Amino acid sequence: MEDSAIVGLYWERDQRAVSESDRKYGELCRGLSRNLLGSREDAEECVNDTWLRAWNTMPPQRPGSLRAYFCRIVRNLSIDRWRAARAQKRGAGLEVLLGELEDCVPARLNVEKELEDRQLLELLEGWLRELPEEDRDAFLRRYWYGSRVDQLARRQGCTPGQMSQRLYRLRNSLRQWLEREGVRL
Amino acid sequence: MSRESERLFDTLGEIGEGMLAPVLEQRQTSQPLKWKRWAALAAVLVLGVGLWRFLPRMGGSSSGGSGSSGSSVFMSYAGPVFPLAAVEETKQVTARREITLDFSPWEPVWISNEQQVEAYTERGASAEEAEDYRKQLEEWFPDGGYESTSTDILVRDDYLLTNTGSADQTLTLLYPFASNLEGLEQLRPQLTVEGEEGETALRWGGYSGGFQGPLGGDLTTETEKGSVNLRQLDSWSQYQALLTDGSYLSQALGERETLEGIPVTVYRFTDPWGPEEETEEIPNPTIRVTYRQPEKTVVLSHGFHGMSRNEETGEMGQSFSIPQPQEPRYGKDFYFIVIGEDLEEMEITGYNTGGWDTTQQVEAGVTVERYQGDLDDSLRQIFQEYLEEYALPSAAEEMWYQQFVELLLSSGPLSGQSAERYASGWLEDLMSEAKAVSRVFYLEAQVTIPAGETLQVTAEMTKNASYDYACAKTENRGIYGYDLVTTLGSPLAWESQRAVLEDRGQIEIVRQNFGFDLTEGHKMVELDPEEGHYYLEVRRKEK
Repeated sequence: MEDSAIVGLYWERDQRAVSESDRKYGELCRGLSRNLLGSREDAEECVNDTWLRAWNTMPPQRPGSLRAYFCRIVRNLSIDRWRAARAQKRGAGLEVLLGELEDCVPARLNVEKELEDRQLLELLEGWLRELPEEDRDAFLRRYWYGSRVDQLARRQGCTPGQMSQRLYRLRNSLRQWLEREGVRL
Repeated sequence: MSRESERLFDTLGEIGEGMLAPVLEQRQTSQPLKWKRWAALAAVLVLGVGLWRFLPRMGGSSSGGSGSSGSSVFMSYAGPVFPLAAVEETKQVTARREITLDFSPWEPVWISNEQQVEAYTERGASAEEAEDYRKQLEEWFPDGGYESTSTDILVRDDYLLTNTGSADQTLTLLYPFASNLEGLEQLRPQLTVEGEEGETALRWGGYSGGFQGPLGGDLTTETEKGSVNLRQLDSWSQYQALLTDGSYLSQALGERETLEGIPVTVYRFTDPWGPEEETEEIPNPTIRVTYRQPEKTVVLSHGFHGMSRNEETGEMGQSFSIPQPQEPRYGKDFYFIVIGEDLEEMEITGYNTGGWDTTQQVEAGVTVERYQGDLDDSLRQIFQEYLEEYALPSAAEEMWYQQFVELLLSSGPLSGQSAERYASGWLEDLMSEAKAVSRVFYLEAQVTIPAGETLQVTAEMTKNASYDYACAKTENRGIYGYDLVTTLGSPLAWESQRAVLEDRGQIEIVRQNFGFDLTEGHKMVELDPEEGHYYLEVRRKEK
């Protein structure tokens, strides 16, 4: 079913909106949530919550890209769930990704500025835009979608070790980029 | 790990859709087809005619932020409310405007679970389906329902037109509004003259936006080259650029291009058949059509969803998964419309999947008919078949077809500046997109204003908000924007403009340049026509 038709179902308060969303994007959303949370059950709940969030926001919203819309919702819900679990001292899969991103945190400098979220986003997008396509693809799959390193390696035809090296190089590159801008996170 | 790495991870979540799309697009797994036994079509005839050769059923054969004037740039921009305009240039008619922004749709309405189930039943749900729905709603809304709210507003745009001359003035009034075909039913204004709803005609201009590269959409840097993605207008100044020189309006009011009389060669593919057994090795039996395309030939297709192209050698291929009985395209036809010199060396083969890297062929085939036709007739036939799946209210069908033809001619493969987005020539993309892309519509009405007299013209409409998506963690989340332009595109001589706010106790003003002050009760303000643009950005008032 076309995205516009699915959005139409939400606007008409038609229950099929949820089943059609799940049919078309359920696996994509479950994969993302599972990558971040490391738990099939938690991922399932996040995806269910995603459909509820969608139900409550359409109308009034009419997203241009339903795929990106659902993925953003499920990613945010998964992060919220991970934070709640951390508060209860239950572990989850996101620690690994955040641990890796520590490499990107700029060193403290004398002249530094704390950026607004939007400014930081612009810097990040600027850096991503400078990357070769394969590097950008690898970085986003790892730190946006949470894909496993071995999956990325298989996708790009290299060994997991080589992929880890590449990601390490990318994280360093991002840190240098932010440091060059005198950014404090 | 630290707060900093979490912030980085959060911010990364907000990167633009254009940059994210390739990652999400490629992650989506193609739906594996559950192949069921079906043998009835196995004995389908295969017809070979013309220049092409057909290799049927042969397992071993070769084939198969911040905007201008201080307003925000929202992720979804609804477009401004435009002023009344007229086709004729006249200085003898002066205009006064009073526009009311009414937030009554923001008032919450309680929707009970019971109401929703009833509505679902009225739409034809069975008792069992209704019960399932009830259980789902009880889980989601344990309080027995939910408060439905809207972020639309009602706009009443009143004009007093005075003929200051000594002779009667007959004018062709135009009331512009931004919409797309899908939103037309909701957003089309009602135009009244002296309180009476008169006869109006609906005109429209072409797609108001443009295209951008795969990484475009950033707010600060120049757009990447390319035309893979839509770049819809996201600020009033872009509408200003679109409408100022009058060419957009001229196109809207002018003669529409027609495709009648253009000869084409049509290939119709019917009754595809393939392996009868469902196996792991053949998860997605696919028909692949390969051919050599002469340099100046254009191929439009319908029903195909896989493509391989080599522009240098002219070797092309298109493919489709053989539909199962429960799938929407089951029993439907597939088409090539060839404009120009005919295709050569056509071959048709079955493969085990839709991937172009697979070499595993399977026994499969399709009946092919080749005939000469007229481009307009051929497109209309395909459009009618498309409507069976994706219908709009019948009154809009001809408009939809015309907007589809316009997109085909302005940005599709028949355009001199074809966008990469439509390079495949897949007609579904263009038909679907034609009703989704934004444009400016015009309500047209003829009026006569006697010498020395005044005429009241009123447009009433629902106006959607501009907003950032709820899932985006931007500073504008939960803020809704509405704006208007004072004189853009209008030749009327403006005496005054005024705005009235009916806030209904529902809103807090976040940003504006109107000058409303809710705490002081200032809800009516004079506008300066020289200002050009007024905006109001609000959030829902907390209870």
